[in-house]
Amino acid sequence: MVASPQIGRVSFGRSEPPPDHRQVNVVPVKLRAVTDLTDLVERCKAGDSLAFREMFRSHRADVARLVLRMTGRPADLEDLVQDVFLQVYRSIKDFRGQSRFSTWLYRLTVNVVLMHRRAARSRPVLQAAPDDSFGADVRDLPDDQLARARRIAAFYRLLDRMSDKKRAVFVLHELEGLAPSEVAKVVGAPVLTVRTRLFYARRELLELLREEPALEFVARELRAEQLHSESAEALTEREPT
Amino acid sequence: MERRPEERALDRMILELREQPNPVLDWERIETRLLREPRPERKSAARSFLNRLRLPAAGLVAVAAVATLVMARQQPVPVPARQTAKLSSAPVNGDQLALGTRITAGNQPLVVDHPGRAHWTLEPHATALVTNAGEFLTVKLESGALSAVVVPNPKPETFAVEVEGTRVAVHGTAFRVERVAERVQVEVSEGTVAVEPSGTHSAPAFLLRRDSRGDFALDGHTGSVEGNASAVVADSGSKSHRTVATALPSTHGHGPTPAAPRAKPEVSSEPVAQVQALPVQPSISDIESGVSSALVLMNRCFHDQTRSTGNRVSASTGLTLSVAGDGTIQSVTFAPPLAPAVEDCAVTGLRSLTFAHSVEGVTFTRLLELSR
Repeated sequence: MVASPQIGRVSFGRSEPPPDHRQVNVVPVKLRAVTDLTDLVERCKAGDSLAFREMFRSHRADVARLVLRMTGRPADLEDLVQDVFLQVYRSIKDFRGQSRFSTWLYRLTVNVVLMHRRAARSRPVLQAAPDDSFGADVRDLPDDQLARARRIAAFYRLLDRMSDKKRAVFVLHELEGLAPSEVAKVVGAPVLTVRTRLFYARRELLELLREEPALEFVARELRAEQLHSESAEALTEREPT
Repeated sequence: MERRPEERALDRMILELREQPNPVLDWERIETRLLREPRPERKSAARSFLNRLRLPAAGLVAVAAVATLVMARQQPVPVPARQTAKLSSAPVNGDQLALGTRITAGNQPLVVDHPGRAHWTLEPHATALVTNAGEFLTVKLESGALSAVVVPNPKPETFAVEVEGTRVAVHGTAFRVERVAERVQVEVSEGTVAVEPSGTHSAPAFLLRRDSRGDFALDGHTGSVEGNASAVVADSGSKSHRTVATALPSTHGHGPTPAAPRAKPEVSSEPVAQVQALPVQPSISDIESGVSSALVLMNRCFHDQTRSTGNRVSASTGLTLSVAGDGTIQSVTFAPPLAPAVEDCAVTGLRSLTFAHSVEGVTFTRLLELSR
């Protein structure tokens, strides 16, 4: 089997030759990892259920994290993660190694979440009480952790109010840490479009922050801190030297 | 330039979210649901495999078919020497064989080893196709004979040989399968094998135990068994057992040859269900194969039942199917609903779909994007 260089690309950092033996020794380890992933993908394509299990185990945490960040709803998480891996099972045959496997998996996850949201929008929904606990049992949480859990829940509510396109690029770039060029591959849009969406997503969030008391409180605290530091600086300047 | 407090608040929130630990789910439960596939490979899965390969496979199959036809005309022997000459008789690591690999033995037997699970020997000039290369191994014997030794495994049917429409499935055993003209001959030297039509649980299944043998039609529906008292024939459709004709098959040749009557095989009181325990729910392969058929059907209905004046028409819906234990579809739900004509067409077609048998059946939802 020929390892595709597109899957799990090996990055050497610099193009010049490595300065010493230690760096040279690292390379086979990385190449081995690449071969393993390539092999795993090929075995999954061949219908090897053991390989599929390995794939599930090695990527489930990343998928669950992205799904949660995209939806903000812990209640839907398990079903959606399962849907994503069912989709992986069905579509792995279409993965031709033209992008990184992680990019492909991100794209697939985002699509499953968006499909889920579209379907949910077209169905009548029984309004549930807002869940500030965010999956945690808040009864035993200390005050600061409770406040943090509420802030996070509030932030997800804001993300939920954004359009799918803006939320997707925001989550992928700001929370998952993907470069805009990588986000562009995931969402299938030009890099410039991704950057524009990021700009407007951030601007929209800044405006929405004021509508969430838990988050507005953070801004107020920071504003007070800023005023305090400005007045302290002014006092320092007035003091005679 | 000093950043505004709102911007810093946003950055702080982003940081807080990034620092959140990964969500912890009941991974075991998800994994069990995902990997619940005790019988991943039957005709339906083979169909889905071909669907995956689509055009390349169609091309290869066409070339292979033409080549086989030409060679068959030239020589009545099933496998021409030219095909077999290139193959080595050294043992092959079966775990490295990809799905769809066709193996032809040369003048020497060819041993395929799945370490710790099974090894099988393709007898000289025999040809087999690997139709499931995963945890559950399935080999389609196209010509000649194959002997296998399978390591006992608590999971049902970890190894199976298919010959046309006949499926020979084993738990842990040693046995030999030979295709002779339009018949399948099975000899069991150790353990138990079940012989049945491929892809169904409702047709008669034959249960062969140690030191017994049988001769079966290529469709797996009819056959005869012979051997010691442990050879059993059961009719799983009616759940009643019956004794079959004791005609011995010819071991060398050209269809079954009637033999002198022998001792009647003992009729077992063991129900067929014990031979092949049904899975609690259909496997992923079974479900996905059914889903593929449903998708084709839905697209056809959508195409036929919607009007278009050159504009692209699309619809999204969630299709929920409830499948009963016998594989029939009990209910179909579309949310949101589709046009009545499309739904009527789809429901009519979906009624004819059947899934693999299971104990509980299954209910699942798929989001469909239809367009024309």
